[in-house]
Amino acid sequence: MAGVHGKLDGLGRFADPWLLILTSLADGPKHGYAIMTDVAAFSGVRMEPGTLYGALSRLERRGWVRPLATAERRKPYELTAAGQEVLAEQVKTMQQIVQIARLRTATAWGA
Amino acid sequence: MRPGLAARLSRVLAGCHPRRWRERYGEELLDVLDQHQASARTVLNLAASAVSTHLDPAYRMEGFSMTRLRRAALISAALAAPLVLFAAFFLYGMWQEGHWQPTTDDALAAVAFSPHRAILVTAFGESGDGVDVLWDATDLSRPQRLSQFEGGEPTALSPDGRTVATIAFNGRPALWNVANPRRPVKIATLPCCDGNLLWGQAFSPDGQILAAAYYDQIYLWDVADPARPRLLRTLDAAVTSPPQAVVGNSLAVPFSPQDIAFSPGGGILASATGTDQVTLWNVTDPAHAYRIAAIGGAGDFIQAFTFSPRGNLIAAVPYHGTVLVYSLADPARPARIATVRGLLTRAVFPSGLPRPSETPLCATCDGLGNYAVAFTPDGHTLTVVVDREEMSANSGRDTIFDWPVNSAGTLGAVTAAARDVADFQPVIAPGDRTVLGSPPGSHAWHAWPLP
Repeated sequence: MAGVHGKLDGLGRFADPWLLILTSLADGPKHGYAIMTDVAAFSGVRMEPGTLYGALSRLERRGWVRPLATAERRKPYELTAAGQEVLAEQVKTMQQIVQIARLRTATAWGA
Repeated sequence: MRPGLAARLSRVLAGCHPRRWRERYGEELLDVLDQHQASARTVLNLAASAVSTHLDPAYRMEGFSMTRLRRAALISAALAAPLVLFAAFFLYGMWQEGHWQPTTDDALAAVAFSPHRAILVTAFGESGDGVDVLWDATDLSRPQRLSQFEGGEPTALSPDGRTVATIAFNGRPALWNVANPRRPVKIATLPCCDGNLLWGQAFSPDGQILAAAYYDQIYLWDVADPARPRLLRTLDAAVTSPPQAVVGNSLAVPFSPQDIAFSPGGGILASATGTDQVTLWNVTDPAHAYRIAAIGGAGDFIQAFTFSPRGNLIAAVPYHGTVLVYSLADPARPARIATVRGLLTRAVFPSGLPRPSETPLCATCDGLGNYAVAFTPDGHTLTVVVDREEMSANSGRDTIFDWPVNSAGTLGAVTAAARDVADFQPVIAPGDRTVLGSPPGSHAWHAWPLP
């Protein structure tokens, strides 16, 4: 957990969008607008363009995503190996949190 | 916000990102905006993104434009700095003029007591300004500071201890409500007398009348409602401060705690008028107050005077150290019943220390004495405290003279004691055998018990 949190330092207000973007790119490359619609579809979060490209520029600088070469105006992005590793770590952490939360709520609330 | 307007603003804001960022992501962003239905939220989001990206260290240092901007900011700051400094000095000067700042020579300027409430007011500074401090005087040996206010001096405290009269910074007398002594509130400025020097003020024993003693007039105010003072009468009389005393290398005017005072019954007002007299006024009906008599006239400034507790006597001390006691059995014809000379000589050359006959008195000292005079609450003793500052020795000495007062008002045999203390202008707390004083330049006051 500490490793992931350390890696998140400096993401500022994009600490939530980065997870949504990496998750969106987990099943394959997507361009900007496709990421926005995908995120809205699987999370219900309406990501605005400023937030998207602010987060993409930071993720790209960290080497977690990279643009694919294309002649078109729109550029698809894909996860890098480092991005996959960070996402996997975060998912693992979230799974631990969910597991502990389920156990504790079951004990406390009888759920 | 209409979608068309939001779309146009969004494109404008996309162009507000740093140039290098635009070169990398600009086209993509515009492509997204072509497909995205822009709203006010989109506009705000892009504005925040533009600001955030400009603050991003990865883009902050880019380009010639930022360097030029920095250079312009630097030049502007260099040009503005002298103006800012000048403005700061100017504003500081204005603040200094508008606020009293104690100097090292400022001594205790005024002390006011309330007979029925254990608080007192002190003020340091010169005539016409000063910071007043309210104290809990329950135990004068351990006074508790309650609050302070820029009220000015001199101060008088109403008998109920709820109102302080001051001469404010603008030269006008002002009244302050100190019912809550931790939160003094200015409630009135008396509308008169600009440019006419105010020497002293006194409340009548019932607190209904405030007498303000100016250079050449006395104003009697109805202060039954202190927030709405009403002028009742002006009396033509030159009210003077005692002459200047030499303090170190400078001249200073020791405040006189008894420039003006009401008799205990409130029917007589006494004011130190002219050069050597105390004038008595009948103020039974303040709106028709009139002069009834004068005492003194010995050719010597009267620095301190006091009524006896029953109001049948008045004792005065001229500047060169003589005690005068008058009977007020007939206030229109005060009769001098006691005269004691030579206090100053006895204070400087007490028993066993003969005065050198060839040496004039003032050659042996830095200045003449300052006096405080009071009767004990039972009226059986008259006390005079003589303060002598020996600047050359950086010390002071108070001599305390006590006379028993017999039923006719004459004085019995004197007893004297001395204390090495620098009081500058001693004040005897009413109803209490305590003296308050303040060494010149100390900005502090002390209290000590009379023997």
